[in-house]
Amino acid sequence: MLLEVRGAAVNYGKVSAIREISMNVPDGGIVTIIGGNGAGKTTTLRAISGLEPLTAGKIHFAGERIDGLAPDRIVARGIAHVPEGRRIFPELTVEENLRTGAFLRRDQASVEADLETTYLRFPRLSERRRQMAKTMSGGEQQMLAIGRALMARPKLLLMDEPSMGLAPIIVEEIAGIIEEISQDGVPVVLVEQNAELALGLADYAYVFETGSLAMEGPSRELHDNDHVRAAYLGI
Amino acid sequence: MMVELLAQTGLNAIYAASYISLIAVGLVLIFGVMGVINFAHGELYMAGAYAVVALYADLGFPFLVAIAAGLVFVGMLGLAMERALFRPLRDNPLGGLVASIGFLMVLQALAVMGFGVRMEHVPPVTQEVIVFSDKVRLAVPRLYVILAALVLLSALWLFLKKTRFGWALRASAQDPEAAALQGISITQTARIAMFIGAGLAGIAGALTAPLVSVNPHMGHSVIVTAFIVIIVGGVGSLEGAVVASVAYAFVHTFVTTFWDGVIADIVGLSLMLVVLIVRPTGLFGTADRA
Ligand SMILES: Nc1ncnc2c1ncn2[C@@H]1O[C@H](COP(=O)(O)OP(=O)(O)OP(=O)(O)O)[C@@H](O)[C@H]1O
Ligand SMILES: [Mg+2]
Repeated sequence: MLLEVRGAAVNYGKVSAIREISMNVPDGGIVTIIGGNGAGKTTTLRAISGLEPLTAGKIHFAGERIDGLAPDRIVARGIAHVPEGRRIFPELTVEENLRTGAFLRRDQASVEADLETTYLRFPRLSERRRQMAKTMSGGEQQMLAIGRALMARPKLLLMDEPSMGLAPIIVEEIAGIIEEISQDGVPVVLVEQNAELALGLADYAYVFETGSLAMEGPSRELHDNDHVRAAYLGI
Repeated sequence: MMVELLAQTGLNAIYAASYISLIAVGLVLIFGVMGVINFAHGELYMAGAYAVVALYADLGFPFLVAIAAGLVFVGMLGLAMERALFRPLRDNPLGGLVASIGFLMVLQALAVMGFGVRMEHVPPVTQEVIVFSDKVRLAVPRLYVILAALVLLSALWLFLKKTRFGWALRASAQDPEAAALQGISITQTARIAMFIGAGLAGIAGALTAPLVSVNPHMGHSVIVTAFIVIIVGGVGSLEGAVVASVAYAFVHTFVTTFWDGVIADIVGLSLMLVVLIVRPTGLFGTADRA
């Protein structure tokens, strides 16, 4: 397994946000975490990236323990994170945003090459290279956030609700991009409230309910599960 | 001659703008990257001046050596502040502010213990004066301050806009957590900001030491001016700090020359209030910091 989460728990003050979370992410394909508001999906990704300390449990990445490392050290190990709400740098240009994604890379020539690849993948970013990131639309900002994360050449990509607040046509475009990223060989952990979308994309799914793992299984099986259909697919 | 008086006052204002902007820009940089208001910034300026008193006036080292030592020494003071005060209080901006007030008193006490409360006399670096006309003159030590501000602020601008660590600094000022997710170490950017911010205050103090009265409490008036300037410029905006420094220096210098210094202080404060009423975020401010 590329990523192994074992019995992870995170508290905010005295309030427990997640407990007893165990997950496996193989070295390829898409794993999704679905669940309603406040289920603990974001907290789990934040814990993996080192933004929230664990109060119990362990996280291993590529065989090495990473919980307790600073966020920038975890990026250095190869985990990139497209955070909830995109969190692009509003007062940096599009290109500067992309370059911050490559902050830890020293292979200058291939960074330049990757920049061009990113512009080919997201032509709308290319047109706006020198524009302040804050002047872009929500969909463009999401693409920038994804492009920025890919500039790190990650071994694992965490994505927190990339479809949030976007028009259906843009959501479809983003879905296509996620598939492409996975096909290019980068494993993805996709957090989504849009369960239909997530189960359609992912190979394997975890269902979170109020901070705990409620169910897990291959996406196709969960898609046919009565509880999942009733609670998350509105069928 | 009116024209000559205007020209001379303009030169004085450019000089004042130069050292004010060195101090204000450092203050803004520290606030932007670390989110704390460094009340000890005036005392970092004072420490830079005392570096020149000790090395140049007392021990007889060349002025340039004393300036460089002042920059490095005060930059290191900044690093020490980051490590001892601001890092442990990272999630507590009010705590950082209070700690910086404590540090200000420590630095003042150290200056009193080391040098006494008397005003220090720093011999002039050079007596040379550039004579534009009979009544329009610029003392060369003042020219050094102007040139230093131009060179250092341009270098800072290039660093922030053109280098990898410059982007990292601006990114962590805009969103520290998102910056950490790009592999940027928040501790490292804090150290860089603190070294540069403190170093700029130190060099301002070192360069002006032969031109002002050096005493343990000299930081007080510059910090008040710097606060006015960064509020007018928009807290967190480096460009705003420079523009507001120039504007403030011109208004203050002209009012001082044509009326008097107390009226100039009142006008300066009133201008700040007007800007705050018309544009609460300051001239260049946005709702976010930096
Ligand atoms: N910074 C915080 N301080 C205190 N409690 C928090 C904080 N962030 C999240 N929580 C709480 O932790 C729990 C899990 O929140 P989390 O954001 O991980 O859920 P989520 O599954 O991502 O929800 P959503 O789909 O709405 O984004 C919730 O009860 C939430 O209220
Ligand atoms: Mg969430």
